[in-house]
Amino acid sequence: MKNFYRKVAFGLGPDDKTPSDPLIWATNQLNDIPEFSWKGKILPEKELRNYYRDYVYGDRKVLRKKFKNDKEGYKREKNKLRHATGQKFWWNLELCIRYSEALKSETPVLAKLWYFWGNHFAISEKDFLAQYTTGAYQREIIRANMNQNFEKMAQQATIGWSMIHHLDNEQNIGPKSQEAKWAREKGKIKGVNENHARELLELHTVSPDCGYTQEDVIQMAYIMSGWRPKWGKKRLETGDVHFNPDAHEPGTKIVLGKKYKRGRKSLSVAITDLVNHPSCRKFIAMKLCRYLITDNPTEEMMEPIIKAWEKSDGFLPEVHKAAIEVAFNYSDKYNKFQNPENWLLQMSKMADVDLIPSPSFMDLYQLGNKPIKDQRALERLMDELGQHPYLAKQPNGWSDISEDWMSPELLIRRLVYAREAYYKKSGKSQTTEFYEEMIEKNYDNPSEILQIINQYKELVHKHVILFNLPETLKS
Amino acid sequence: MKISRRNFLKGSATTLFLAGFNFPVLANTDKKKNLVVIMLRGGMDGLCAVPIIGDKNFEKRRKDLILDETIKLNSDFALHPRLKNFHNLWQNDLGAIVHATNIPYTKRSHFDGQNLMETGGHIPYSIKTGWLGRGMKLAELKGDGLALALPMPLLLRGIPSNDNFYPSKKRLPRTELLQLLKSVYADKSEHDLANMMEIIANRSMMNNGGTSMSRKNSSLAHKAGLELKKINGPRVAVFEVDGFDTHAAQGGVNGSHSDSLIEMDSIFKSLEKGLGSEIENTLVLTLTEFGRTIKQNGGRGTEHGYGSAIFMAGGLLKKSQVYTDWPGLKRKELFEGRDLNSTIDARSVYASAMSSVFDIDFKRVQKEVFWGDKVVNLSDKLFKV
Repeated sequence: MKNFYRKVAFGLGPDDKTPSDPLIWATNQLNDIPEFSWKGKILPEKELRNYYRDYVYGDRKVLRKKFKNDKEGYKREKNKLRHATGQKFWWNLELCIRYSEALKSETPVLAKLWYFWGNHFAISEKDFLAQYTTGAYQREIIRANMNQNFEKMAQQATIGWSMIHHLDNEQNIGPKSQEAKWAREKGKIKGVNENHARELLELHTVSPDCGYTQEDVIQMAYIMSGWRPKWGKKRLETGDVHFNPDAHEPGTKIVLGKKYKRGRKSLSVAITDLVNHPSCRKFIAMKLCRYLITDNPTEEMMEPIIKAWEKSDGFLPEVHKAAIEVAFNYSDKYNKFQNPENWLLQMSKMADVDLIPSPSFMDLYQLGNKPIKDQRALERLMDELGQHPYLAKQPNGWSDISEDWMSPELLIRRLVYAREAYYKKSGKSQTTEFYEEMIEKNYDNPSEILQIINQYKELVHKHVILFNLPETLKS
Repeated sequence: MKISRRNFLKGSATTLFLAGFNFPVLANTDKKKNLVVIMLRGGMDGLCAVPIIGDKNFEKRRKDLILDETIKLNSDFALHPRLKNFHNLWQNDLGAIVHATNIPYTKRSHFDGQNLMETGGHIPYSIKTGWLGRGMKLAELKGDGLALALPMPLLLRGIPSNDNFYPSKKRLPRTELLQLLKSVYADKSEHDLANMMEIIANRSMMNNGGTSMSRKNSSLAHKAGLELKKINGPRVAVFEVDGFDTHAAQGGVNGSHSDSLIEMDSIFKSLEKGLGSEIENTLVLTLTEFGRTIKQNGGRGTEHGYGSAIFMAGGLLKKSQVYTDWPGLKRKELFEGRDLNSTIDARSVYASAMSSVFDIDFKRVQKEVFWGDKVVNLSDKLFKV
């Protein structure tokens, strides 16, 4: 049962008391969205997007022209521009905010589910989104909606600047739209870009199980045509998302058998229909079970989550509570191989590893300067572990299938970074008693585990073995 | 302009005729053959790497990017002067090029293009496995893949138990500790974990006392060469080279595109060094998402284009050659009036390579790896069969 604390959160830290009722402990964390526990600076997405704008404009419109014959000069000035716009810093700050929720907040269960949703509506590696805006998107659109209906999160994520840009909807122009006509007069062809529409169906809502066709994808793309950042000479593609009727495909569209009128409202109506489709709740229930419990969720596991969804109209706190309860009920039967990020956070929480730089240290950063090495520690660590949360390779996010995380090199990283982490612990947690208590609190078979790790005398070796035992790798 | 599309087709009529009598490739199990794929990310400029000789259309459009002192390969094509190692291979019939080729992707997003170059599909993100992984599955090569990257590239997905190597700068724990974990895994019936720990423990023994391994591609390639050489070692290796997206200061011989090409060239050299005589039983291929515009842009760089080139190396090549169905560079011959066209589906090269190296019938590769798409068997033209 104790693996439940690791399954739905990151285990119990030295200051956490063992809850008298684990399920209530977990579900009580899901009603509200508290303030961030990070006490340093937190920048709004809009401000970060402006830094991104300054970077792309400066590079594309200024430096490329100015240094066309000077490779070295171009490299040098581009580096300056990176620092002038905080390119190496912001995502480290975002990681501090992100990991504080797992390690320092009263709501680690909410944090684990936040990571789930951030990955569900993933912004994968594209341009420099990760460095500037992905963290903020996950704060303002994903986390902020975790006490709302799924529909609201889906609506906002879909027309969020990050998502629109990430999935190329700015290039999605109705072939019969005014803009396509103007383009034709100039001998150019403009048309539909299906990317975003396909992912909305496949990854974000109903999934291929609902049986949509390629024609549905195209019709959905027509509905989405015209939603794009407001273009500006200096803003380039970083303007706020708006609906531009000139790029919108005229006429009625049909998706999954339902008709939608032309115009601005049709996207929101279509999303409402998609999130209310039975395939959507089934898909989300399956993904939640896969994330928390097992690679192959059963119908029985999904059923209570689907019921909670139906009863509450997709109200996320209720959906989450149902998922957590299912995880609780199956905690003795199933262990899930944890991805590198969850593994690192478990180790940091349970063994009291000082993972996150302090807010005052991070706030020392001054725009224009190169961040100091320790201000960039988290970005580098996540890269080394093989899972930087803002750099998923594809729009389907990081995999939650165990096999995808099993490779020799990835396991090596857990061995060497378990050791590194040990030296980031405070002296008071570097004692045998600390480990005995922590193992007692977090594992169901403490004596067996102690017997294994006690084959080594030095605490650092015990630490490395503990965090690479199957009991820890899977929870 | 010395060759035109029409001339080429006339010259190749016989080979096209003979292609109708293609016999299925017979299984040849007496030697271990290796396939190496180098992914060139960002859009490799085939016309910078392998420029056409004496084409006014070309010279006019990229005045500032024309290379000096290129190495002449044949009467029509030259080689970038910094690709010295590849040139050595070429001189020994161990290097060849397929030109004016690309995967069937004509839009210009890196994001989508790189996904398709790895999956081999038509719709971005619709396929979740790589063409190489599917080919290995067909050839039953479980546990025979090695990625010189972290995490596992999509290209190799589709078959489990691939190895990867991308050394951490930190030291591994001592071997006894690894052995202890391995026995714990085995006791708890965690067989996958136990197998991986076995690989790691072997690796740790190899590295103990040695200098820390570098992540430079040249160093990774040497290591990969040594592994591929082993009779029970991996049979497939995958590399990644970044930085081909040169929108600005692409430059000439010492420009930024050259830097990435030189890195690719260093892989050829180190692989050869590591493989020793086994280079004879190895085939190396490059893969990119698209080529680049013929015309230089305002920043003396190039934009995303379409047709590019494939570099090939190793003793499984038929001969040194630039294999192409050259589309020409006149405006009307260009793709959308701006890019080198692609006249050979790059997947035909990859399908033929897998058929030849893995000893599986081309038709099976075509059907099971590329869904019966119209890829063409080029094995007898490009490879020793």
